[in-house]
Amino acid sequence: MNPFRVALAVARKDLRSEWRTREVVPALAQFIILALLIGNFGFQIDSRNATTIAPGILWLALVFAGLVAFGRTFAAEREQASLEAMLMTPASPVAIFAGKALAAGALLVICEAVLLPALSILFGTPFSGDVVAAVLLATFGMAALGVLFAAIVARVRARELLLPLLTLPLWIPFVIAGGVAVQSAMGLPGNYQQAIGLLIDFDILFVVLTSLAARFVLDE
Amino acid sequence: MSIIVANGLTHHFGNEPALEGVDLVLDMGEHMAVLGDNGAGKTTLLRILATALRPTAGQLQIAGLDAFRERRRLRHYLGYVAHAPGLYPALSAAENLQFFCDLQDVARSRVQEVLDAVGLKMVAHRRSDQLSRGMQQRLAIGRAILHEPRLLILDEPDASLGPDAADLLMAMMRDKTVVLATHDHALANRLCPRTLVLRHGRSVGTATRLRVVQ
Repeated sequence: MNPFRVALAVARKDLRSEWRTREVVPALAQFIILALLIGNFGFQIDSRNATTIAPGILWLALVFAGLVAFGRTFAAEREQASLEAMLMTPASPVAIFAGKALAAGALLVICEAVLLPALSILFGTPFSGDVVAAVLLATFGMAALGVLFAAIVARVRARELLLPLLTLPLWIPFVIAGGVAVQSAMGLPGNYQQAIGLLIDFDILFVVLTSLAARFVLDE
Repeated sequence: MSIIVANGLTHHFGNEPALEGVDLVLDMGEHMAVLGDNGAGKTTLLRILATALRPTAGQLQIAGLDAFRERRRLRHYLGYVAHAPGLYPALSAAENLQFFCDLQDVARSRVQEVLDAVGLKMVAHRRSDQLSRGMQQRLAIGRAILHEPRLLILDEPDASLGPDAADLLMAMMRDKTVVLATHDHALANRLCPRTLVLRHGRSVGTATRLRVVQ
């Protein structure tokens, strides 16, 4: 059985369900806009400090939007008792996990399509390909980790509390490297190439680790 | 040839015993009903037989393979209708089955055949959350037979099915080995020559053509 076909089928199914129900994306987009507005009014933003504050607001909004997006991936399957049906097929649990991560990552990317231009408009920061690349690279690894922990906590009652407790410490490397990359792309001191290299290393490391762990998390 | 050979199947949820030392041998093509009150252990037994739940103790062989070590290989071989339909509410009946075709490595052309077999051809494009409970159950049965399994594990498949439940199930069960849990003794008697009765997680007897221990 082709694992890519399975992963694509799972991702397509999740995205089609989201398109029809619109449960996650509108709420996340609203959350992101509100976070940016609060940041804009909460700080004394002017042309001198905008690039210093904007990256922090960006990562805060992204991290909390990610928690919501990834938290729903397995919770919905558990609520509708469909996860067992999916795992009762011969499809590889790793391929199923990859499909779920792909769909959750795509939802976050859609939200980033709102976040980055809005950040540029409200804070007057540059909206460049370098910023987009840094955010996308961080999203990739964050999605793998977030969806793995979402699968782990989906079977416990206090999942909304547990997910951030487990996920946030492991997202810190992405926030640090991504933060440096975005700051340097916005003209602040920092080595962009080095930060992007680190993000790629973290992506590879966590994608491999989560793929190995997914088999046990989903199979047992 | 024995398709299911189970020895001492036991399962505990924490300290609570759900199943205690159930032995079972089922030959190819046999149909067996599992009867018992609520909480008797029917669903636990069926989930173990479907390899969805690992028993706390005991051995299970299906088609000569260790059911838990080789469970991924056995997934082609068995179809399972769980207690809850487990459908994707935003997808249509046909889309639900198409998705499982991709996961089962079955051609999507099979979807129309299955929808026809379970009597859902007219509502193929209706979202599954807009189907009646009985239609959802038919769709869950359709999903279980999508890959033409030789062993069917059916947990109360008659739930909400309506008056033609027995005919539909009889057609689905033809030429297959079947374990079916139900509360409906008349249905069990009609569909299954063999019966296993569970009480408080223990087997209290088997019978042929229902002389059930009440």
